[in-house]
Amino acid sequence: MLVMSRRAGETILIGDDIEIVITHIGRSRVKVGIRAPRETLVIAREVKLVREENLAAAVTTPPAALSNLVARLQPARTPHSSLQIPRR
Amino acid sequence: MPDFETTSFGRISYEPEWAIEFPSGLPGFEDRRRFAAVKFEKSAPLVFLQSLEDPALCFITLPVLVVDPQYRLEVSGEDLGQIGLAPGKQPRIGTDVLCLTVISIRESGPTANLLAPIIVNLRNLKAVQAVAPESEYSLQHVLLPEEAPVCS
Repeated sequence: MLVMSRRAGETILIGDDIEIVITHIGRSRVKVGIRAPRETLVIAREVKLVREENLAAAVTTPPAALSNLVARLQPARTPHSSLQIPRR
Repeated sequence: MPDFETTSFGRISYEPEWAIEFPSGLPGFEDRRRFAAVKFEKSAPLVFLQSLEDPALCFITLPVLVVDPQYRLEVSGEDLGQIGLAPGKQPRIGTDVLCLTVISIRESGPTANLLAPIIVNLRNLKAVQAVAPESEYSLQHVLLPEEAPVCS
């Protein structure tokens, strides 16, 4: 990874088409302006992960998998493994 | 009540005033803004988010409190502002907002996206999928863990 130091107002060039401008430096945040061609996707990393997850989730679900999920989620008539509660 | 043809459920009718609006769409579906929340007794507690613009687009969701009764919202000020909520404090699930987690059905089993819940402002039905950068929650929270192996 290339690491550069820039002051507010300074610019980084990536390839022929991309410009990154440090527009404001705050206490805990940096404001960054990005100039890139329309076709180039510019998003926060965590948004990209959510994007991919949404695209995977939106695929048509085979009915069998869905009714299996429902059967496990509805109040069990017979004892069954329960939902895993996440530990923080 | 207008009708809408869907791939998953056939023809459904809905009250236009109950259409949920995502001002920025969802990540990956930025141009899809209007959805209906569809529930069936047979598939409770699942809530299907059916696109009102694309008959084939539907998300399977669960109310987040069904997956984690202790779930704590960490919605950014920007996301709160998008749906007309004050950026200062977290909204209350159930009273201020409906909070849904998107389910993915994978080969390994169903998972819930607890990292980026869908927040619906109950007062104006505006919604956003809130991505919190510092969240400790999982993008793919396993819903139905495998039975624990028996030690011999």
